Amino acid sequence: MSRRFIVEPRGLAPWWLKLLIPIGSVIAALALGALFLAITGNDWVEVYTKMADTAFGSGRGFAETLVSSTPLILTGVAAAIAFKMLVWNIGGEGQLMFGAIAAAGVGIWLSSSTPAVIAVIAVVLAGAVGGAFWASLAAVPKVYLGTNEIITTLMLNFIALNLMQYLVLGSFSPWRDPEATQFPQGRPIIDNARLPEFFHRLDWGLFIAIAVAIVAWFVISKTRSGFEYRIVGDSFDTARYVGIKVPRKVLSVFLASGAAAGLAGSILVVGILGKMDPRSLDLGLGFTGIIVAALARLNPIAIIPVAILMGALNNAGPALQSIGVPSATVKILQGAILIFAVAGEFLIMNRIKRPKRVADDVPAEAEVSSA
Amino acid sequence: MPDRPESEIPPAVELRNIDKSFYGVFANADVDFSLARGEVHALLGENGAGKSTLCSVIAGLYRPDSGDMLLDGKPTVFKSPKDALAAGVGMVYQHFRLISNLTVAENIALGNPEVGLRLSQSELEADAKELGERYDFPVDPTARIWQLSVGQQQRVEILKLLYRDARILILDEPTAVLTPQEGEALFRAMRILAGEGRSLIFVSHKLHEVKAVSDRVTVLREGRVVGAAETADAEPRDLARMMVGKDLVLPTRAPNESIGEPVLVVKDLVVEDDRGLDAVDGLSITVNAGEIVGIAGVSGNGQRELAQGIVGLMKVKSGSVHLSGSDVTSLSVLRKIKLGIAYVPQSRLGMGLAPGLDTDDNLALKQYREPPFSKGPMLSAKAFQTKAAELIEAFDVRGVRPGLPIRLLSGGNLQKALIAREVTQDHCVMIARSPTRGLDVGATATVRDELLAERDRGIAVLLISQDLDELLALSDRLLVIYEGQIAGDMPASEATAERLGLLMAGQREDQSA
Repeated sequence: MSRRFIVEPRGLAPWWLKLLIPIGSVIAALALGALFLAITGNDWVEVYTKMADTAFGSGRGFAETLVSSTPLILTGVAAAIAFKMLVWNIGGEGQLMFGAIAAAGVGIWLSSSTPAVIAVIAVVLAGAVGGAFWASLAAVPKVYLGTNEIITTLMLNFIALNLMQYLVLGSFSPWRDPEATQFPQGRPIIDNARLPEFFHRLDWGLFIAIAVAIVAWFVISKTRSGFEYRIVGDSFDTARYVGIKVPRKVLSVFLASGAAAGLAGSILVVGILGKMDPRSLDLGLGFTGIIVAALARLNPIAIIPVAILMGALNNAGPALQSIGVPSATVKILQGAILIFAVAGEFLIMNRIKRPKRVADDVPAEAEVSSA
Repeated sequence: MPDRPESEIPPAVELRNIDKSFYGVFANADVDFSLARGEVHALLGENGAGKSTLCSVIAGLYRPDSGDMLLDGKPTVFKSPKDALAAGVGMVYQHFRLISNLTVAENIALGNPEVGLRLSQSELEADAKELGERYDFPVDPTARIWQLSVGQQQRVEILKLLYRDARILILDEPTAVLTPQEGEALFRAMRILAGEGRSLIFVSHKLHEVKAVSDRVTVLREGRVVGAAETADAEPRDLARMMVGKDLVLPTRAPNESIGEPVLVVKDLVVEDDRGLDAVDGLSITVNAGEIVGIAGVSGNGQRELAQGIVGLMKVKSGSVHLSGSDVTSLSVLRKIKLGIAYVPQSRLGMGLAPGLDTDDNLALKQYREPPFSKGPMLSAKAFQTKAAELIEAFDVRGVRPGLPIRLLSGGNLQKALIAREVTQDHCVMIARSPTRGLDVGATATVRDELLAERDRGIAVLLISQDLDELLALSDRLLVIYEGQIAGDMPASEATAERLGLLMAGQREDQSA
């Protein structure tokens, strides 16, 4: 019954390993994907070439990749800051949608003569407030009544989705475009509230997203308030012991998480969409944000490149149709990357060694306690 | 066979020379024990005396390293608790094994081989009800476990065993979670069970309970049997002395000459525990500047609630806490830290330190809000490093690396870091709970020296511990806490094993004279 390997917790993982694991996860996922493509009779070299070409091969393609990445940076930050505090907000999806509803509402309601600077700021902030509000529906009961936020945030996703669809597809609400008679569409927001594009379809939303990620990193690692977040995330009891009001901290990080996801919604509305378009907002961006956060090991800065990678995959998906490969292939790749990254996390936290000698050092206890 | 002389009936359980060690540390050594039919046999001993281990050996949870167990005179080896239960030996653990979403009847049926694939709820419920009534132990069989009080849950555990017709019931500190009324009901049921010829092992720290319910008593200390007697013949003072054991070494250090003004004054304090019971029940203490007041007691007598009530982590229900004359009873934890209450909690990694943060961060946990650690909303990494380097050097904390989570340090180094942080902040009161528990000799000496140095600096020190040696070595005054009240108050030099043992086991001074 001697063990062939010993697993022991690692104190400090070297920096190169923290870098190697995510990169290795991507490579492993691509290898698995290649195997899958080969088995299903596709030329994997062609598929990967096509994907790389679509995502990075041209200025327009790269712009589209960044367009896809922008909301993922924000939903990734939303997931990361919450998870770091052991707040399992998996409602980025719903918070994004409600952010979009709020942003579009303000963007429609504003007078078309509102100065552009004010209009953009108002609409973008409306999204953040909307996302925070949607998060509060789960956050307040969690903090004061102890409800399980995994369940509440997940259920609120469906409510937000149905609400959004109702506003455009199911009713003649102000969100629905009265001029779209053929098929229901969202009503365009005022022109002054639109973010300008500067590189093909890419708009300034990307920089807002990157700024949010950098601010999140800065607050967590450099400020007093961020230090308190780290203490709470590490141990509730210790936080209480040093005099931190834990419920308030949990509530505020939950709302900040919702605001980041809501911002993703408003940036889509003021940016590429220009209206609340239920189809374009129901792409699982909130859930992909969770993958982004996990792959970035909850580090807000690392979220930026990871989101670009995921955005590239999302961007490349539809192009695969043209060579007869289902676009869902990229979902398989994304899922595989996550699984490998989670498995790799184990290697970051632990080290696996071969025992030096097979000595009979296993106490009889091990046998009994496993029974 | 009623006429058969008693001596010929083999004991229900007999243990011979049982040894059991965990990772080289003996929990039971050379234990002989016998349990007669129809008797309630109390196991008495301090925390860590090996009572629970012995029970677990009998119940089949642990297999002894060596020694024999005889069941009704026949050598028996249990491979598992299931095995033991099949042979009629069942145990009620301190932590219940119940499924909180199922009903009482379902829990009773759970794991019972006689219950087949089909469950007849109504039959089960009727059985459960009938069992409960027979032992004057009523529970609603249709209630779900989470709806029940802890006392009722314990009844379900016992009914579970009775439903399986266990002949030997082991109750591991059953009264620790009960109110006095629930305790009375339990004792009644225990007597009924014994009257039916079942045998019960009853684990307790409390002499009056042992006196009230048991026929015989065995005292364990440090894993060994140090005495056994008919309960009726046993003098409480003898039991107490056996329990506490070794002759206490009286302190050799000079008592502090310069005891000052009262600093920490606790008056009629009442603090509820997590279950809403008054764990601290009208307790008063005064700690003067330059004095170490030690609080002895078996764990679970309100120590945690006392400490957490004073520092503000638990709500004070009534009574007051004064600090240097001003009322601080209901101030926040943060306000109390700022007013000068330092606290070394019992659980280093659970409360005193943030296990995943590094040593630098942990050493600043109490002071990061003030300059030089904070400049406005920003933190100064430099200040963290400077302060940490100073403390690590001064307190000889080893194994520290930047960025290394502090939980990876050894227990002694963790405690040195924690003590370093607490004694170097501005404070006038130090509350320490079991500060040397689990530490090696070197770290223990460091921690004790620091507490003595605190006293010499004029700090009021409240030391709450289970370790009598530690209490005697450090305290100027020694108090005993029992069921949330101070049961005795004496200068450390007047403490004797017998006196402390009696007080800790719940005998009042006047009763034991």
